[in-house]
Amino acid sequence: MCHQTVSLVARHLEADGISTVIMGCAKDIVEHCGVPRFVWSDFPLGNSAGRPFDVESQREILESALRLLESAPGPRTTVPSRLSWSADTTWKRDYLDLAKLSPDSIAERRKEFDEVKAIARGKREGA
Amino acid sequence: MNDPDGPIPYMQRTRDYYLALGYGTPYRWAHFDDVPFAPLAKPLREARVGLITTAAPFQPGVGDQGPGAPYNAAAKFYQVYSGPTDTDPDLRISHVGYDRRHTSAKDINTYFPLARLREAVAAGRIGALAPRFHGAPTNRSHRTTTESDAPELLRRCREDGVDAVVLVPS
Repeated sequence: MCHQTVSLVARHLEADGISTVIMGCAKDIVEHCGVPRFVWSDFPLGNSAGRPFDVESQREILESALRLLESAPGPRTTVPSRLSWSADTTWKRDYLDLAKLSPDSIAERRKEFDEVKAIARGKREGA
Repeated sequence: MNDPDGPIPYMQRTRDYYLALGYGTPYRWAHFDDVPFAPLAKPLREARVGLITTAAPFQPGVGDQGPGAPYNAAAKFYQVYSGPTDTDPDLRISHVGYDRRHTSAKDINTYFPLARLREAVAAGRIGALAPRFHGAPTNRSHRTTTESDAPELLRRCREDGVDAVVLVPS
C-alpha cells in the first residue's frame, strides 16, 4: 500500500505545480498508477532509499532522484538503480510465496489477517 | 511465467495471496492514463526540497515496532503528521507489509533519507530542506488518500514553501 499511497500523493502535488520524485522498490505498483518521476531499486520492500548501513548506496540512490528532478523529460520517467541487492536473486521468490504455505498455515494467516484488520479498523474509527 | 530475475510482480502476488486466503474480491490498484508533470522551476541548488514518508512515529505501548517485528496494525496512523527536519525522528515500519524475511529494518536510512538529504544541502547540491517532513497514512482506500490525505499533504508542503518533494514508501 505504501507505494500506491506515495504515487497518489506525488500526482496530487505535481498537479498543483510541485515537482516530485519517488524512490521505491515496487515497480509494478508505481508504474501502474502512473507518476511523474521514479527511481526504482530492485531491492526487498523496506529499502527504497538504499541498502542498510551502506551510506554509498543511499547517496547514489538519492543522487539519482535529484538528477531526475532536474532532467526528467516528461512524466512516467523511471530510472532503474544500477545497484543490485545480491548476486543471488532467490530472495525475489519469497515475498507472499504461496508455494511455501501448507493449508494449515494458510488458515493461520487468514486468522491473523482478520485480527490485524480488526485492530486497524478500531484504530481508524478512533482516529 | 514472470522472469524470476525481473521486477517482482507485487500486484499479481498480492492478488493470488489474498485469493488463496479466501478473500474473493481482488484489490483494485490505482491506475491512471494521464500523469501530471511540473518541471522543476529553478536550479536544484536554489530549490527547497521536502520529504514525505509512510513510516510511523514510534509509539510507546502499542507493541513491538522494532526491526523484524511482526506486522503491527496497532502502530498504524490515519492522520497526516509532520516533524522537524533539524532533529532525528524515531520512525518505524512495523505497520506496513515490508519484506520481513530479507529486510532488517535496522537502519532508518533505508526508508527515510533525511541524513542523506542533509548532506546534499551541506554539499550545495540542493538549496535547502523544508523545515518539516510529513507522514502519509497508508490506506487501502484510494479515495481516502486522494480526497483527504493528499490535499492535506499539499497544504503543508505549500506552507513549507517547497519547490520539490522526495517521496519514499516503506
